[in-house]
Amino acid sequence: MSEAEREILDDLARSVLDMDEDLAANAAQRAIDAGMDAQRAITEGLSRGMEAAGKKYEEEEYFVPELLLCSDAMYAGVEVLRPHIVHRGGGRGRAVVGVVSGDTHDIGKNLVKLFMEAAGFQVTDLGRDVPIEKFVEAVRDGAQYVCMSTLMTTTMPGMERVIQRLKEEGLRDRVKVIVGGAPISQAFANKIGADAYSASAPDAPAVLMRLSAIPA
Amino acid sequence: MLSEKQRLRLALRRGEVDRPPCICPGGMMNMVTHGVMQAANVFWPAAHTDPGLMAALSAAAHDTGCFENYGVPFCMTVEVENMGAKVDLGDAVHEPRVSGYVIESVSDWKRLPPMDCARGRAAVVLEAIRLLKARGSGVPITGNLTGPVSTASSLMEPTVFYKELRKKKQDAHDFMDFVSEQLLAFGLEQLKAGADVITISDPSGTGEILGPALFAEYAVPALNKITRGLRGAFPDAGLIVHICGQMRSVFKPLAGVDCQALSFDAEVSLREAKKNLPGKAIMGNVSTFALEFAEPDKIAAMTKLCVENGADIVSPACGMGTGSPLPNVQAILETLKTAVPIPIKAEAV
Repeated sequence: MSEAEREILDDLARSVLDMDEDLAANAAQRAIDAGMDAQRAITEGLSRGMEAAGKKYEEEEYFVPELLLCSDAMYAGVEVLRPHIVHRGGGRGRAVVGVVSGDTHDIGKNLVKLFMEAAGFQVTDLGRDVPIEKFVEAVRDGAQYVCMSTLMTTTMPGMERVIQRLKEEGLRDRVKVIVGGAPISQAFANKIGADAYSASAPDAPAVLMRLSAIPA
Repeated sequence: MLSEKQRLRLALRRGEVDRPPCICPGGMMNMVTHGVMQAANVFWPAAHTDPGLMAALSAAAHDTGCFENYGVPFCMTVEVENMGAKVDLGDAVHEPRVSGYVIESVSDWKRLPPMDCARGRAAVVLEAIRLLKARGSGVPITGNLTGPVSTASSLMEPTVFYKELRKKKQDAHDFMDFVSEQLLAFGLEQLKAGADVITISDPSGTGEILGPALFAEYAVPALNKITRGLRGAFPDAGLIVHICGQMRSVFKPLAGVDCQALSFDAEVSLREAKKNLPGKAIMGNVSTFALEFAEPDKIAAMTKLCVENGADIVSPACGMGTGSPLPNVQAILETLKTAVPIPIKAEAV
């Protein structure tokens, strides 16, 4: 790798970590001008910055407002790079994320989406207060991963109902189901027959990759 | 023997009591379950909009032996609806929730109408408090306020709100000031209507979400503006603040919250809380997950643990799910009445 390339990739990573949208867009443009592969600029630049931000979050140095601003910087860079991507991203598989019906708390879900996109998954966001059948439909349409979250005990049974409906429709074997959220635990995931539980948003991509034996 | 009102009053002031009281304040810390609705033959969502039904349902949570208080409302959407947010009132199982925001940015706060407590569900809550007071039963009444950060982040998209706490500080502070003033006004009306205690629950204003710096910068001053305003007008009012989530990173700023009692989520060690928050009564923290999905003997064990760890008031740790079986909920108070022989020593009067 040339010195110039190294500098661009470092700037991309730093822009995300420092929540600097201008630097992200600027470094992304420099990557294009230098003839760098756009996908590589994302993976080795922006995504690396997001991973570092996730680490700071887990170490309680960054909190939700900081992560959201890091994500703005990441997407500012992605916007510039997107038209130049030769092969569409999402090489690690198609996932849907959503907050189950009855609940509108979606900060955690948004962070899961962010870290999964940064890790190279193609993510469809079903939003919050998502009816059970919408998850089922998404699997019918080819989603390989269903990631559900909720913050409230009242709405936890909705996760189990999604899994039941997937079984009834003969779709359960096609998809991995991952659950998370404040009241959720590994024990609950086991009880309702989910494939995995993710304790935090930055962990979600690793959990998915372990499930499918995708090399990191 | 102490009356329920005396016991709660003493516990809030960390005076000597025969045993900790068992309350569930209402609001986000909803005290109503499906079993309570059946006992009262009053159901959600009707009870959210009718003062008679609201009072009857809250009274049933007391009369079925669940809690030693009345508490209204049963959700955290009354204030934001009054300021223009669209609310889906939910059904017999699911809590009301915000379905449409009012503003796009903290900079738009001037477009928000001030709360008018004479209309909408704010008026329903005040009338329900008057009806509960008129029962003359001596049961303490807890009024409730949605916390300032939770209210602000229900008036606009929370993702934008959290970012603007860093990017548009002046506007964000002005917005928080406005929101705190509205909440204070509603709290004062609730005390005027006869509430003995006001609980402020701020599930979106946690240390885990904001981090210690923004928690100290925004949440603490907003909470204090409300509690100091309430105390200034009603020096005898009980004041409880509930914060969700893990607290370790924010014990220090939390000690600066001006209230009598702090209430915590299940993951917080009450012993650690007591150590870090001298001078405050500590309330909590029977897991609402366990209340919904475990058995009564587990709840009894958890209740004892709360008392051993120094809880001045025992309560569900967070918003209780409507599916929580009645025997589970009743097990908290039952355990306090029968299984805790050691009186709690007064640390200070």
